Order: sequence, then structure tokens, then C-alpha cells
Amino acid sequence: MRAGMTGYILKRLLLIIPTLFGVAVLIFLLLRVVPGDVVEARYMGQGGQFQSQEQMQLERKKLGLDQPMWKQFTTWMAGIARLDFGLSMWTGSPITEEIKLRFALSLQLAIMASTVATLLAIPLGILAAIKQDTWVDYAVRVFSIAGLAMPSFWLGILMILCMLIIFKWLPPMVFTPFWVNPWENLAQLFWPALAVGYRYSAVGTRMMRSAMLEVLREDYIRTARAKGLWMKLILSRHAMKNAILPVLTIISLEFAFLLGGLVVTEQVFNLNGLGMLFVEAIARRDYTLTQALVMLVATTFLIVNFAVDIAYAWLDPRIRYR
Amino acid sequence: MRQIVRLFALAAAAALSLASIAQTPRSGGELVFPVPSEPPSYDGHREETFGLIHPFAPFYNTLLRVDPNDTGGTKPAPSLAESWTVSPDSKTYTFKLRSGVKFHDGSEMTSKDVKASYDKIIFPPAGVGSTRQGQYAVVEAVEAPDAYTVRFRLKYASASFLASLLSPYNFIYKADTLAKDMNWYEKNIMGTGPFTFVEHVKGSHVVGKKNANYWDQGKPYLDGFRAIFMPSSSAQVAAVRAERAHIQFRGFSPKDRDTLKAALGDKITVQESPWDCILMVGINHEKKPFDDKRVRRALSLALDRHEASKSLSQIAIVKAVAGVQVPGTPFATPPEELNKLAGYWTDAAKSRAEARRLLKEAGVPEGFSFTFTNRGVPMPYEPLAVWMIDQWRQIGLNVKQEVLEGAAYFTPLRTGGTQVHMDFQCGYIVEPDLDMYKFLSTSRNPANYGRYSDPVLDDLYDKQSRATNVEERKRLVRQFEKRLLDEEAHYLMTLQWHRIIPHSSKLKGWTVTPSHYLNNTLDTVWLTQ
Repeated sequence: MRAGMTGYILKRLLLIIPTLFGVAVLIFLLLRVVPGDVVEARYMGQGGQFQSQEQMQLERKKLGLDQPMWKQFTTWMAGIARLDFGLSMWTGSPITEEIKLRFALSLQLAIMASTVATLLAIPLGILAAIKQDTWVDYAVRVFSIAGLAMPSFWLGILMILCMLIIFKWLPPMVFTPFWVNPWENLAQLFWPALAVGYRYSAVGTRMMRSAMLEVLREDYIRTARAKGLWMKLILSRHAMKNAILPVLTIISLEFAFLLGGLVVTEQVFNLNGLGMLFVEAIARRDYTLTQALVMLVATTFLIVNFAVDIAYAWLDPRIRYR
Repeated sequence: MRQIVRLFALAAAAALSLASIAQTPRSGGELVFPVPSEPPSYDGHREETFGLIHPFAPFYNTLLRVDPNDTGGTKPAPSLAESWTVSPDSKTYTFKLRSGVKFHDGSEMTSKDVKASYDKIIFPPAGVGSTRQGQYAVVEAVEAPDAYTVRFRLKYASASFLASLLSPYNFIYKADTLAKDMNWYEKNIMGTGPFTFVEHVKGSHVVGKKNANYWDQGKPYLDGFRAIFMPSSSAQVAAVRAERAHIQFRGFSPKDRDTLKAALGDKITVQESPWDCILMVGINHEKKPFDDKRVRRALSLALDRHEASKSLSQIAIVKAVAGVQVPGTPFATPPEELNKLAGYWTDAAKSRAEARRLLKEAGVPEGFSFTFTNRGVPMPYEPLAVWMIDQWRQIGLNVKQEVLEGAAYFTPLRTGGTQVHMDFQCGYIVEPDLDMYKFLSTSRNPANYGRYSDPVLDDLYDKQSRATNVEERKRLVRQFEKRLLDEEAHYLMTLQWHRIIPHSSKLKGWTVTPSHYLNNTLDTVWLTQ
């Protein structure tokens, strides 16, 4: 069993490399298929009528855009092998510096939103399942359907308007790291975490409810009840461990998405996160930065997916990886 | 009775004195403003986005500036140059510099620095980017005969040369720094401006603090400023509404203005101005039937600009009916004369009847279809496109809109892949040379996406550019405008943008101008509390 598990882990780890290579090839090609480049975006955006074509070509040469595609790709790959993602084509600053600034905010927001989602989804899902077809179940279902129906950015706009109109207050406009000023930090990130967390808790709640209902009808639960075990014990020791698997998958994968996918919510709350950076990088045709961000998000997805698979094995002994 | 009169006089005097106190600039406070866009680098000579000007102009001075109190945004005022003279043949401009001006590193600013800065802009060495090099093609040499004198020698007399020196982008850099590294200012900040640089957190904010050694005694009034990058307009409005920000210098929509005014009442002051930005319709002359000027004229005649001015100004940042100059500025055509041009007639029915007649004469069938390429920017591209498509439908044309985002939009324009498209221009100063350069033949300006050649138009441009007599220049500008918009209908103007700045009433000493690139040095700005 242990040897099989180790082999499985190694195999999954090794699979990450060709997957990432595939992502790299795909994003590299896709970016170059889209019309326009960073030089055009930079100088034509404001009219650029006094900008000569010679100057534009010179800029392209400086950025290496005059090189053949295969050479651009191999240069990039060689950089990645050295963990050097190069410079942003838009600002000329190191990409690690550009990402580092936003990563702290996005990571904290993803953690906070996932926490909110977990804290809401698991207890509410269980409650709805054990109180099936009562007013409690209906209330939880309405609550979760409302969460599914409302996009998080829209909920964010409502929150901001309420704070503005009723309390004449607005969250801080600039990010302050937690260790610098915890109050300022939480005052800014609590609201978007709540908006995003509620949205994702809705999916989790419904998943938790249906999984719990399914588990509660299993023979081993009936046996446990027949033996006279306490319901609390049955739920915590037998039912929840099995019902939580799909919820765990959803929340974990959402966590990876939250790192770079909260574009509109970041705009609504004016958060300097990875989502906004992503959109700006694409709009500006900043190839190097977009490529690095895609690789970062892809790597996060793969790591989270890997961790979920390992957690599955731990939570469900029936799973055999051979 | 005499006592009552005396009391009234005293009360009046007190009121007057209170009023004057209220207008006396107060020192202190931090100005907070959102900036909708962030620049790629700090180098004003290289960039052309307001995202550079709003947060970084306060760290620099320019040789001249636009008078900060001039609502027309065209009047030259001293800055680092305290005075200037022009030679009788208008080919030599001599500037007397202020003495005792210090860079933020404590070194003195002299003519050497001005010369080095302008040499970088006009004659950049290989590998150094200068976006506005083309605007100074008239300059033969920049000279520094002594420490406090700078001389520009021109190849020929130019009507717009002085105006071109008002560019807010032409920061004066330190010569010694440029000598070591011409690209140093792309990643570093060090000028002579009223504020010194504190920090820039990318994607977040820029902070500046008062320059205690500023050459203009008593200024700046503010202790500092904080520019916060904020792309979302709803977040910008919320920031002003929550009184977290004092102003957003680019502009808000009419709806945002009304929302803020309704929410904050007297706490908000609104300043408005025609905006030196306009969306134009470019017509690809290489595509049939748009090579026929009757078709192009019909497209212009279909537009009821006067009615649109009333209705669209309620929902979009456009307002005035305009020709090639911002209405109300020195070279703008008066409305009664402008209304004689095709597409500017006040009788829309007559105009459309003429449009239909021209289309028929040109052999364009009823229901003729073409594609209108638009830029994927909501305001004001979207409402203007919707309006124009409806207007063209009223003369029997069937228009399909193709919306392209960001950088993708320029590729078909540049390569001639469009039929009819939205084009635009924004200027830092209203000046015929800058505003009309766009329309020169493609051989002279590749950014003319109409892809036409018109030597007559080019000749008129050159003549007005060299006309030193104002009245003569006005006449030539009108001829240019008539040929461009009426006789040949090379390009169609939509409506002039309208700049709306609702700002905190605590903010004083700032005047709106037609350009969102101007008046951002912040030396005259102060806060009442």
C-alpha cells in the first residue's frame, strides 16, 4: 500500500512537468496570434501621430520582438529553467517584482475568501441535510441559491453602496500588509472576502448537503444508528469525512482560481491584485508578464490539484492508488 | 441714522475681509486624487499618457507652462524661464532662466540642463525614445550661450513654436545625469518641481511631499499629495463621494457629476470645459465606394450634430458641435460660419435629403451595407457609435459595428483593413499645428488612417503653420477645415468631448482647462481644511 502510494505521488509530480510545458507552448502561441503588440499599445493608445515607424521598430528590437518566434520561445524557456522570468515589456521592471507586489494581496484574499466559503458551506450543508425538508433546509437552500445567482462583484457594489450611503464610510483604497497595520488590512480585505466567499460557499453548501444526504442513507450509517451511536458521533466520525470530499475539491480548486480570477471584484474594491494585473498585461500585450502569470496560475492549479488528490487518499481509505 | 449706516459699513467691511480671508491660500494638507491609468515609465519625454502627468508632473518644472488660471488653456506663462524674446524674423527664441532654482538633489538648474533636456527630446541619440520629436522638426539648434540663457534657433518661422514649448511632458532633467545615462529618468525621478518624490507602489499609489526649497517662494501650499491608481470609474466616484479623494483630474461622466452633486450638495464644486479630445470618423479612401467624396459627404450630412449635442451630452462626455478646433478657442470657427459646412446645417431634414441625393448620384443602392470599426472603450465610443449607426440608417445605409479591444484596434487601422472606423485625438494644447497634423496626406503622416493624399490640404497646413499674422492664419485654418470636412469630407468630426470635474469644495487654486494634460503641477492648489 505504502509503495503504491509513493509511486502514485511520484507519477503525479512528474506529470506536472509536461503539463506545464503544454501550458507554456499554448500561451506563447495564443498571445502571438492576437493582433497588436506592446509597442502599438504603448504609443498608439493616445493617438501616437508624432511617433515614427522607425521609433516603433526600434522599440520592438529592444524588446526582442523582431526575433523569430522559435528564438523568443527558447529564450523564454531557458529563462524559466533558471527561474528567471525576465522583464515586463510594459514597464521594463523584473517580472518577479511586478508579481510580488500583487501576490501578497491576492493570496491573502484567496485565503480569507476560502475560509469564509468553508465556514459557511460545511455547517450549512450539514444542517440542511440533517434537517431535510424542514424550514431550516429551505432557508439554507434559499441562502445558497441567492449566492449562486449573485455575481460577487455585484454583491461587492451593493456592499460599497450600502457602506457609502448608510454609514458614509468606504474601505481603505490602498493595500496595507497585515503585519504593518492589521486593522487597515482587514478593513480593506474583509468585504471583498465576504462577497467572494459567499458566492463560493453557495456551491459548497449545495454540494455538502447532497453529499451528506447520500452518505446518511448508506448502510454503515444505518448500522451505526442501529448500534445506538450518538448522532453527533456518527456525523463527525463517519458521515462528514466521506461527504466532505467533493466540497474539498471545489473549495480547493476555487482557491487557485481566486488567485488570478477576481478581475471585476478587484476593480470594484480597487484592489491591486493579480487579477487586474492579468487583464492589464493582456490588454497591453505584455507577453512576458502574461506568460509568467499564466504559468503561476497553472502551477498553483496543479499543486492544489495534487494536494487534493493526496487528501482524498487520506480521507477515504477505500481509494487505492495502484 | 448715522450709527446705523456706520454699523452697515462695518458689517460690509467685515464680510469683505472674511471673503478675502476665505480666498487666501492656506498652507497644509494632503491632496488625494485617483488616477485612472498608470504609466509604463517615469520619462515624460518618452510617454504620452495622462497617467504619467497626473501623478508625476508635480515633481518637475517645464521651461514654460500654460497659465494655470487660463480656462482656455493656451496662454503661455513663465515657469523655469522668467521671460523670453522673439527675433524680428521669428526664427530665434531667447529665454531668460530664473536663477537659484535647485534640483531635488540640491544642485542648481542652469541652461545646460534645459539644453540637455531639449536635445534629448528633439535630437535623441540612437536607442533613446522621444515621442514628440516630430513636433520640433522646425528646430535647428538649442543653444546655451550663458548659464541663464537658452536660445532656440528655428529653420523657419513657426506660428506654433511657443505653444509647443508649453507641453507638460517636457520635464527639465539634470544634464549631468543624462550625460551618464540617457534612460535614467525612465526609472528614476528627480526634478525641480514643487513636490519631491516619496514613493511609488506599482498598481497602488504615488506619494509626493512639499519641496521646502521650491524656487517659487511660499509655494506649494500643500504638504503633499497622494495619487491612487484606480482604473474603475465607479471606484473613483465612490472615493470622491466618501470624501476619501478630493478630485479626479481627467473627468467624470454627466451621470457621475449629477450623482455626486445630489449626494454631497455644496461640498462638491463642478468645473466644466470643452475638452481638447474628439472622436472622428476615418473613412478608408482605398475602399469603394468611399473613394467617392459624394459618399463621404453623405456620411457627414446624415449626422444631426446639433440634436445630438443636446441629447448625447446628457449621457456621454461629449457636447459642443466642433470643427478642427475646440469651440471658443482662438482659431475656432464661429458657429454661424461652421454651420455652413456639410453636416453642420441646422436643418436636419434638408441635410439628409441632400445625403440621399448624393448617394443615389454616386450609385450607392438603398440598404448598402458596410462595417464600422469601433474601439472597445465604453465612454464615449459606444454611445457615439450607436448614434451614428442610427443616423446612417436614416439615409438608407445598413451599418454593422465591429468592436475591437485595445491593441487589436490599431492593426486594421494601420494596415488599411477597415472601411469606416472611429478615430480619435487628444491634445495637450489647442493649437492648429498639433490638431490638424493628423489630417495630412498619409505620406506625411502614417497615422492618417483615411489613407488619402491631398497636396492642397498639405499646402494649406504648411501655409498656416508659417503664418505669423494671426488673422491670416485664421483664414488659412478655415480654408483647411472647409476642405477637410466639407469639400473632400476626408474625415468626419463627431462632437467635442466635454470635460466635467466635480471636486471637493475644499480644493481651491485649480482651474479646469480643455486639456486633461494641463495644470497638474499642483503648486497653486490648496485645501481649505
